[in-house]
Amino acid sequence: MSALRQATAIARLEAAEVLRSRWLWFCLGVYLLLSSIFVLVGLRESSVLGFTGMGRVLLSFSHALVLLLPLLGLTASGQVVNRSRDDGSLELWFSHPVTRTAYFSAVSLVRLLTLVLPLVVLMPLLGLVGRFAFGQAVPWGFVLRTLGVSTALLAASVAAGLMVSTYVRNQAKALMVLLLLWALGVALLDFALLGMMLQWQIRPLLVFALAALNPVQDARLALLAGAEPELGQLGPVGFFLANRLGPGGLLALGLGWPLLLASTCWLLTLQRFRKGDLV
Amino acid sequence: MRVEIHGLTKRFGGVRALAEVDLTLESGTRTALIGPNGSGKSTLTRVLMGMLAYEGTVALDGLDPLVDRPSLASRIAYVPQIAPRLGAPVREIVTAVAALRCLAPEAIAAPCRALELDLAAVADRPFRNLSGGMRQKLLIALALASRPALLVLDEPTASLDPRARQNFFDLVEALGERPTVILCSHRLEEIRHLVDSVVVLNEGRVRFRGPANEYLRGNAGGRLEILTAGPGPESWLAENGFQRGASGWWARGLRNGERIELLRELTTRFGPELRDVVVRDIETLNPNEPRQT
Repeated sequence: MSALRQATAIARLEAAEVLRSRWLWFCLGVYLLLSSIFVLVGLRESSVLGFTGMGRVLLSFSHALVLLLPLLGLTASGQVVNRSRDDGSLELWFSHPVTRTAYFSAVSLVRLLTLVLPLVVLMPLLGLVGRFAFGQAVPWGFVLRTLGVSTALLAASVAAGLMVSTYVRNQAKALMVLLLLWALGVALLDFALLGMMLQWQIRPLLVFALAALNPVQDARLALLAGAEPELGQLGPVGFFLANRLGPGGLLALGLGWPLLLASTCWLLTLQRFRKGDLV
Repeated sequence: MRVEIHGLTKRFGGVRALAEVDLTLESGTRTALIGPNGSGKSTLTRVLMGMLAYEGTVALDGLDPLVDRPSLASRIAYVPQIAPRLGAPVREIVTAVAALRCLAPEAIAAPCRALELDLAAVADRPFRNLSGGMRQKLLIALALASRPALLVLDEPTASLDPRARQNFFDLVEALGERPTVILCSHRLEEIRHLVDSVVVLNEGRVRFRGPANEYLRGNAGGRLEILTAGPGPESWLAENGFQRGASGWWARGLRNGERIELLRELTTRFGPELRDVVVRDIETLNPNEPRQT
């Protein structure tokens, strides 16, 4: 039996499980809430305040998104493998002809699509609502940029979550590691980094490097770079990176680094999953 | 399928679950793995299923179960000791297994019928909501449907009633090309019906290997219950390891030979004072210190 057929069978099971657990609907609800705020409040306000108001709206929206997406990505994937190990699912499915690569690929893809697809459907849809219901000019470039950056950030979060769920067997410990990862991601933004620099007298270049290595910061900067941001919005570290890299560079960093991180984490985890104990 | 194991060691952190196990099972043989809890039975079966990394050499028809799993998996079937807690409906699981094993749904329905499990009636019920017996029947049906060359059974009838157990024995007997069977069990009934040789594991090592009949003759036993009419034999019973229960005296884990000797002595000494003697065979192999027969 081909690996593709095996992966398809496992993907169907996983997709059904995701629907049963209502993860998809939860994501849809969260995105709907965010997008509604963006369209209903943001666009209407921007029409009153003009383009300068739009920057503020985008700033708030980007911040909400970059804080939320890693949390969703990590929690959606962070207990997939260890829970399946604990509840006997892995023992059952690997008593049938399924390769470890096919299983892991199928589960990873379904978990990522569960988070990305609702966003891909909802954002353009609500953009259209804004356009036709409120007659506002929708910044499609920003919508597209948001979708790209969000997908990259989600991919990095899902890969990190899968890594935790594969390496940490205990589900409670895994949850703690996931929360720690999320806290690190959202803490190591501009102001926390500046605080660190001042507190421990860290060299500025190290601070900028830390900021650039944080996919959450990269995603945030990539989103803000599309809206002619100011120092106050980007923060000092972000402003430095924006000056060095330019808007195109920031977008490349916001897309490329999380994707590179996702690929590296995923391949390392796959290697572990293939060689390690399943039960 | 021929099973060859040389120097197999498996460690979980600092705990050595299997230690230098050497074992060869010829194709078509039926072997019971017995031993106390934690002796390494389930670990050994999971190594054979390619679920655990290990040290040493394991070959199934010359192939490594870990490295060559894609080639081997369709020829191996497994019934786990504990049914998974899956929320998926039965229909979903059956469809997935049929797809993975390239089986027609009827191939799974047939063993279900033989085990008196009405697949249509439970199709929409979540697997974890089935009774223990139903779950076990379904797992057995999923394993037997593929006509495997190696059938690994980890306490397969623990949740089955006597009639379902007999149906299961009949199903295994009826398997066409005789597969190699490896059975983890403490049940005399399973060992009597299913296997022709016994391997005893203790603390991860092989302690005994021999024909099933001879092993059972020497090591099988049961519980002995004595109801006394008067106080006469009570001190004797206490001295001989019996315990006082609500309705009389009892001792369990006795080998057949021991039971016969005890009964002979008891009836000779205290015959008139005994009201009743009950001999039970319940999960009472003595695998800790097997007797060479």
